[in-house]
Amino acid sequence: MRGRAPIAAIALTASLALTYTDAQAFDESRYPDFMGQWKRPEGISNQWDTSKPVTKQQAPLTPEYQAIFEANLADQAAGGQGTDPTYTCIPDGMPRAMNVIFPMEIIIQPKVTHIIIEYLSMLRRIYTDGRDWPDDEEPSFMGYSIGKWIDEDGDGRYDVLEVETRDLKGPRAFDASGIPLHADNQTVVKERFYLDKANRNVLHDEVTTYDHALTHPWTVMKNYNRVANPRWVEAICAEGNQLVRIGTEIYMLSAEGMLMPAKKDQPPPDLKYFKQSRK
Amino acid sequence: MRRRLIALLASGAFVGTSGAALAHHSFAMFDQNNPVDLEGTVQEFKYVSPHSFIFLQVKDKDGDTTVWNLEGVAPSALARAGWTSTTLKPGDEIKLTIQPLRSGAPGGQWNADKIKFKDGGPIAVTH
Repeated sequence: MRGRAPIAAIALTASLALTYTDAQAFDESRYPDFMGQWKRPEGISNQWDTSKPVTKQQAPLTPEYQAIFEANLADQAAGGQGTDPTYTCIPDGMPRAMNVIFPMEIIIQPKVTHIIIEYLSMLRRIYTDGRDWPDDEEPSFMGYSIGKWIDEDGDGRYDVLEVETRDLKGPRAFDASGIPLHADNQTVVKERFYLDKANRNVLHDEVTTYDHALTHPWTVMKNYNRVANPRWVEAICAEGNQLVRIGTEIYMLSAEGMLMPAKKDQPPPDLKYFKQSRK
Repeated sequence: MRRRLIALLASGAFVGTSGAALAHHSFAMFDQNNPVDLEGTVQEFKYVSPHSFIFLQVKDKDGDTTVWNLEGVAPSALARAGWTSTTLKPGDEIKLTIQPLRSGAPGGQWNADKIKFKDGGPIAVTH
């Protein structure tokens, strides 16, 4: 019994020593202040390129994917979901997550920066420890991100976080209009995060998407405002999703949980697995 | 075909309101161009993600009741506008303007800025 106290004390001291060393190694003053809650500016909607109207995104799609996009618009106009896959509550994925439909926060740590987006608690890990790209990473909606801090003006403080994201899975679209990304999921996303020089409560994310659905890389500037006195609201899509896909059709659920058509003259679902009474 | 699609884009057929902008899915299933005024009794106010719902009992001129399934923005947006899970309660009598389902089923999109109590009083929200 007497021997345990010194061991415990040694363990605690060692733990505290490690913590102190880590704190010394991570000098917060060298990093930009990305803390707090960031949200889309007032009046800015959820489209991918916020410099253009929602209905005039002019995405640089290949002819094949432009045709897919237009078929998607027709389906949406009829009451369907087109090529926007998130009605099932799957994550937005990258790059769409940076539409920041609901606010986000950014947490800078020595070897990784986390971005947490309120909607679905989408999580991005941006590794800044100098690692190489893994060759066995399973694809995911949010992808695998490696970042690098840049001191652009040479003042000893980092100004820019450059990020590259690979290893994405689909289906994904750029926004709710259904602008599609290629089914081969070979998307690469490159970003530059930096605070506005004139207003430190404005964050810029210059996003360039490389994807085979595009005729050329597509660069947009996403802007976010820091929120004073933020509040956070849990957003769990699966809690109350009223859309359900059966076969190739998407239906709505009524108050009593019954299927309702989402499109005019939509056929009822195929009940082939239910025993049918013989007449 | 292309001209029709351009017209669809211009009409905002697939997106057009603040509700659509904050949706986890396309709101094109709701007819943005032909709003409908409804008056009825709240059966249930579902303050849930991804979208809030008002289930509204509406009587027709024959006295028959239909429950309308009205979808709105998520609590993430409502909360920041001062709404809570108890802003509407079962039994509240309200009137509102909705964008109806294109399918014709009793459903639609409701908007926090187009809803009031039956007596004309605003929906009280706290900030």
